[in-house]
Amino acid sequence: MGTVAIRSVRKTYGQLEVIHGVSIDIADGEFVALVGPSGCGKSTLLRMIAGLEEITGGEIAIGGRVVNDVVPKDRDIAMVFQNYALYPHMNVRDNMGFALRQRRLPRAEIDARVADAARILGLEQLLDRKPRALSGGQRQRVAMGRAIVRQPNVFLFDEPLSNLDAKLRVQMRSELKELHQRLGVTTVYVTHDQIEAMTLADRVVVMNGGIVEQMGPPLDLYDRPKSLFVAAFIGSPPMNFLEGIVDRDETLVLDDGSRLSLPMPVRGKARVTVGIRPEHLALAAIGWPAVVSVIEPTGSETQITARMGDHVIRVLIRGRTEVRPGETIHLEARAEDVHVFDTGSGRRLTAEALEGADR
Amino acid sequence: MTAAAFDAPLRRRSRLGRKVRIAAGVFACVVFLFPVFWMVLSSFKEQRDIFTVPPTLFFTPTLETYISYMQRADISRRLINTVIVAAGSGLLSIVAGAMAGYALARIKLRGAGTIGVIILLSRGVPPIALAVPMFLVARSLGVTDMHITLILAYCTFLIPYVMWLMRGFFLALPKELEESAMIDGCSRFGAFFKIIVPISMPGLLSTMIFSMILAWEELLFALVLTNRYASTIPVAIAGIAGDTVNGANWGALTAVGTITVIPVVVFALLVQKWLIQGLADGATKG
Repeated sequence: MGTVAIRSVRKTYGQLEVIHGVSIDIADGEFVALVGPSGCGKSTLLRMIAGLEEITGGEIAIGGRVVNDVVPKDRDIAMVFQNYALYPHMNVRDNMGFALRQRRLPRAEIDARVADAARILGLEQLLDRKPRALSGGQRQRVAMGRAIVRQPNVFLFDEPLSNLDAKLRVQMRSELKELHQRLGVTTVYVTHDQIEAMTLADRVVVMNGGIVEQMGPPLDLYDRPKSLFVAAFIGSPPMNFLEGIVDRDETLVLDDGSRLSLPMPVRGKARVTVGIRPEHLALAAIGWPAVVSVIEPTGSETQITARMGDHVIRVLIRGRTEVRPGETIHLEARAEDVHVFDTGSGRRLTAEALEGADR
Repeated sequence: MTAAAFDAPLRRRSRLGRKVRIAAGVFACVVFLFPVFWMVLSSFKEQRDIFTVPPTLFFTPTLETYISYMQRADISRRLINTVIVAAGSGLLSIVAGAMAGYALARIKLRGAGTIGVIILLSRGVPPIALAVPMFLVARSLGVTDMHITLILAYCTFLIPYVMWLMRGFFLALPKELEESAMIDGCSRFGAFFKIIVPISMPGLLSTMIFSMILAWEELLFALVLTNRYASTIPVAIAGIAGDTVNGANWGALTAVGTITVIPVVVFALLVQKWLIQGLADGATKG
C-alpha cells in the first residue's frame, strides 16, 4: 500500500528550524503537489520522505511503516530529480535497469521491465544512447523511466519539469498526468509553479515558511483560500487586493479616501484586505468606479487593467469589449466571489472560511 | 549560443592582447625548455664536446654515455626501484586520498572543514624537518632502505595533495547522482564505487599520475631513507653531480637525466589528454 503519513514533522539545521511541525496524510494512489515559494520547505519535506534528509522531529510512515530510521533504498520509493541525475557513464538501458540490478533481479525480468517502461515513454529507439546524446526532454523521460521500472510504492518528484522550455513543460505535464492515471501510484510532487500543482494534483498542499498554509483539492484552494498568502499564490493572473478600513459593516474605505460598498456585511474588523479574482469582476452600469489604463485582448477573453484610487485592478472578461483606455468603468462582483481577509493576521474573515477549513 | 553576439566585439578588442599572450607563452616555453633541450643534446655528445665554445650543434650522436653508465652506477636497478616506489605511492595515495576527499566533500560531519584544513596545513611543514625524524623512526623499526618505507613517506605529502584535488573534483559533481543511486539501492559506499568512481576516472587518473610524477622526482626522503637496495634515480643523479672524487660527470648526468625525464613527459601528455575530456557530461540538464 502506498500511503504516506507525515505526522508533526520538524526539521532543524543547527539552531534554525525550517519546518515547523507539518502533518499531511496521503492516500494510496493519490497525487499530492507540494507548492510554495523557494525556501518554504517543500523540497526539504520531500527529501525527508525519500530519506535524504534526517527527520528532526515527528515521524513519516510509508505504507504504514514508520521510516524515520530506514535508509533510502529500503523505503520502496523512486525519485525524479530536477536535474535528472542520470548516470553519465551508463546508456539509457543501464540507467533504467540500475535499481533492478542492485536488487539482483533476473536478467530477463530486468530486460522486460525496461522494455515496458521504454515503450510507455517512447524511449525504445534511445536505449543504447548515453545521457549526453539526449535532449533535455529525452533525459527527463529517462529519469521518469528509471522511476517507473522500480514499480515503487511512492513516486517522488522534485521540480521535474522546471529545466524544460515552456512548450515541452506543458507537454510533459499532461504526459505525467496520464502516466499517473495509468499506473495509479501514490505521487508526491514538489513544484514552485502553482499552475503545475493545480493541473496535476488531486490535492495541493500550499507551504510557506515551513508550515502548511492550506491543503485541499485544487479548486477548493482557488475558491476558498484560507489566507492572503494562498489567495495571492494560487491563480493567474493573480487576485486583486484592496486594503482599507470597514466602516458601517458594508463599506470599505480605501486609504485614498474612496468608498466601496461591499456586497455582504463584514463584522467589526478594523483593517481588512478584500480580494477578488480578475474573472469575478464584471462590467456594470453602476458599481465601483475605475479608470481603464490598458486593454489586452487575446481573442477568447480580454484583460483590462484599471486604476481604482491608488490600486491597480485587473479584470478578465469573456469575449471582447468596446471600452477604451482613459474611460471610467464600473465594476461589480457577486458576494460569494469576494474574499475578505484580516490584513494583520492574513486570515480569512468571510463565513466560508469556517466551512472550507481543514478538509 | 546566444552569447556569441556579445563575444564578437570583445574578441576584436583582445586581438592584440592575444598576440601578446602568445608571444609571452612562446618566450616562457623557450626559457623553460632550453635546459631540457641542452640536456638531451648533451647526452648524445661525447664528453669532450659538451662544453665547447661555441657549442657544437651538429655532431655524430653517440650512445656511449648511456651504455657505460647504465652498467656502472646500477642505473637499471634504481630505475626499477623508482618505478616501484612511484607506482606504489601513487596507487596508495589515490585510494586513500580520493576516499578522504569524498568524505570531506559529501559527508556532513561536525568539524570536517577543520580536519581538512589541518591535513592541508601538514603540507606546510618543510620536508627537511620531517626527514630526520622519519629516518629515526624507520631505523628503530628496522625498515630503512626498503621500498615500503619510501612509499609510506611519500604518502605523507601525496595523500593531502590528492585529497584536496579530489575534494574539489567531487564537489563539482551534482550530489543528486549519489542520492539517486542511494534511492536505487546503493549504500553510500556502493554509490561511491559504482557511480562516482567511474565518472571520476579522468580526474582520478590524472591526479594519480601527478602524484606518481611527484614521487618519481623526489630526492630528499629517498636520500635520507635509502642507501643501496631501495635507492632511486634522483639519488643516483645527486650522487653523480656531487661526486667529489672524480668531479661531476656531465655526460652521465645528462644521460641519466634524459632517462628520468622521458616517463614524466609521457605521463604529462597522458594527463593532458584526460583532462580535456568532459567529466560528468550529460549527468544533468546540460
